[in-house]
Amino acid sequence: MGILITGADGYLGRRAVSALLETTGDEFVLAVRAADAAELAAKRDRLDAELGAAGHGRVTVVGADLTRDDALADVDPRRVTAIVHAAAVTRFSVDRETAQRVNVDGTVRLARFARRCPDLRRFTLLSTLYTAGRHTGDVPERRHEDAGFVNFYEWSKWRAEQHLFDSGLPLSVLRLPTVIAEDDGGTVVQYNAFHNTLKLFYYGLLSLMPGEPSTPLALGTAAFTSAAVAHLVRPEVPAGIYHVTPDPAQTLTLGQLIDLTFDVYERDDNFRRRNLMRPIYCDRQSFDDMVDIARRLKGGPIEQAVASVAPFGTQLYLHKTFRNEALRAAWPGYAAPDPLALADAVCDHLVASRWGRQPVTRQLEGAL
Amino acid sequence: MSNVYVSDFVYALGSRKTHVTESEAAGRLLSSAEDLESAGFAWHHLCEPGESAYGLAEAVTAQLAESGRLTGIDAIVYATCLPLNGNIGDPGEFARTRDVKHLMDFPASRLQADFGLTDAVVLGLNQQACTAMPGSVRLAGALLAAEPSWRKVLCVTADRFPDGAIYEQAYNLISDGGAACLVGREPEGFRLVSAHQITNGALGQATDDETVGSYFSFTHRLFRESLDRAGLTVADVDWVVTQNTNDKAWQILARLLGVPLDRVWFPSMPDAGHIISADNIVNLAQLIASGQLRPGQRVVLMMAGFGLNWQSLILEAV
Ligand SMILES: NC(=O)c1ccc[n+]([C@@H]2O[C@H](COP(=O)([O-])OP(=O)(O)OC[C@H]3O[C@@H](n4cnc5c(N)ncnc54)[C@H](OP(=O)(O)O)[C@@H]3O)[C@@H](O)[C@H]2O)c1
Repeated sequence: MGILITGADGYLGRRAVSALLETTGDEFVLAVRAADAAELAAKRDRLDAELGAAGHGRVTVVGADLTRDDALADVDPRRVTAIVHAAAVTRFSVDRETAQRVNVDGTVRLARFARRCPDLRRFTLLSTLYTAGRHTGDVPERRHEDAGFVNFYEWSKWRAEQHLFDSGLPLSVLRLPTVIAEDDGGTVVQYNAFHNTLKLFYYGLLSLMPGEPSTPLALGTAAFTSAAVAHLVRPEVPAGIYHVTPDPAQTLTLGQLIDLTFDVYERDDNFRRRNLMRPIYCDRQSFDDMVDIARRLKGGPIEQAVASVAPFGTQLYLHKTFRNEALRAAWPGYAAPDPLALADAVCDHLVASRWGRQPVTRQLEGAL
Repeated sequence: MSNVYVSDFVYALGSRKTHVTESEAAGRLLSSAEDLESAGFAWHHLCEPGESAYGLAEAVTAQLAESGRLTGIDAIVYATCLPLNGNIGDPGEFARTRDVKHLMDFPASRLQADFGLTDAVVLGLNQQACTAMPGSVRLAGALLAAEPSWRKVLCVTADRFPDGAIYEQAYNLISDGGAACLVGREPEGFRLVSAHQITNGALGQATDDETVGSYFSFTHRLFRESLDRAGLTVADVDWVVTQNTNDKAWQILARLLGVPLDRVWFPSMPDAGHIISADNIVNLAQLIASGQLRPGQRVVLMMAGFGLNWQSLILEAV
């Protein structure tokens, strides 16, 4: 009997598998997207190497492109007792059609498969806090009404949630925060809009900040989220909707993050020498205008980096407080990262590694 | 309260007017014509092969001479954006003779001689890039303050890009051009309320993207500091005369600074693009010509340029 994990070779998928290998005695079917046998073999080798001895004899890697109707043909439904659905297109800039095809229709296909699993105890969807879309204020751990969305990524994740809520499956939805580091040490492996925005400031390529300084930012680490997944998929934990995020009181605001970021940057000789100014917070229209300007700066680094930031910028104007009472009740010992210390460590790592382009020196590593 | 006045704004553009699409076809641009047009650029003016930057300086000074205003000049501040426009000697002659005098044939001296301004001393300003014109007005004001017997300073700026140059800088379409004005003690034109400059030498070799990247924060700071130095608030400002740059940039800045967009003035942009250091004078001359300016109104002139430099003037219409 085993746990089926989709997107098992993705950033969080891999970490969730490792955590579950440690915390359960289950066997695992790791579903990965693979265009052909060669890609599947390569992914299998990579996963085997990464999981090491812990995975021997307990994991089976199968190809499963969720855009295909026969996606899970190789998986025996009778052997599946739990599903963790981590596969998704995760770019904020994803177009509507792709988001629908992978994130919505892929989830529909997986739910259809799940209904054929006679012993299924739990279907866990890795979702995002931003399925709340344009909602503002307190965001409870409940099903969201459609309040509109700022990009097709969050829209598609919301649609996937909606489908599963109506599916009758034993569902848990884990809404995750933006993952900004491996763990509290601040090492960054997966770069996203968060890191790209800070990069623009470090290199002096952007001096306008979308959003309001008082907007709360829910940030997490891969260690925290995979520990949450490992805990919340346990059969004894009640199914439900969980906001896998620090307590509201432990949440950084955008203004605090930017101040802290520049404090870290200003410790760096290279940065200090350039006398760059802290960014100016701008209204939404101005940020849209800036994005429009950037789109025309073809070939330059601004164009690329702003393209990654733009689809998320609007959220920085929409104050949300993500409630996490259900998480706290279901996971009493939970310990979210200290947001200031985490942001400090991440900025340090970004500067020292120049956004992953140079190795972090030993001395700095020690300092981290 | 300064008792220095700025007046007689004149300008000249390269004689070949060409459309951005033509320049794209001729390989003079980095961006596509479409992208530049979407930023508000359309036409620009290039010097013909025989036309020199000095020719542009001569043309603007001749306009002042013709209107009878070129009298009693005590100093000439001759500003160029490109240092090479500060020499009218032939570098080829230097290569042939190894005599550096060919690198010191100063256009300011030539202008003095050509216009018979024998009582005027000359000063050259060539490390302020596109901000050199407000820089020269500031310098002229300081000279008048330091020399009680002086009455009038001629400020001239003139630049043309060398043959074969890309006519685009930091995503701006460039025109060759020159401009001039007079800075004196007679209450005419505008009273010079204050001048301000920020230099960030560490960005002296900024890439185009870094120049754009830092534009908003430094321009915002320049504006705020300019008002602070003059003891003014944004409500005291009637017009902001800007350089000719992406028209969205000032839509953003106007919002951030709380200046109504219809008070942000850069009408020469579609016809001429960024006229190196002459933008402010061209736009100010067109504001005067528009008949919208009223006595007592305050105008803030803003420029950004290589170096990186940011300069402003606050003027009050007489
Ligand atoms: N990381 C975060 O900050 C964060 C925050 C909130 C929510 N989440 C959610 O957490 C989950 C995991 O995120 P992540 O950061 O691990 O993302 P990721 O690294 O991009 O991994 C996504 C995984 O999905 C797979 N996938 C994509 N298209 C597929 C398809 N058509 N069929 C099957 N698999 C497909 C990818 O395979 P290929 O690489 O081969 O395409 C990859 O293995 C996602 O559902 C995401 O929405 C993540």
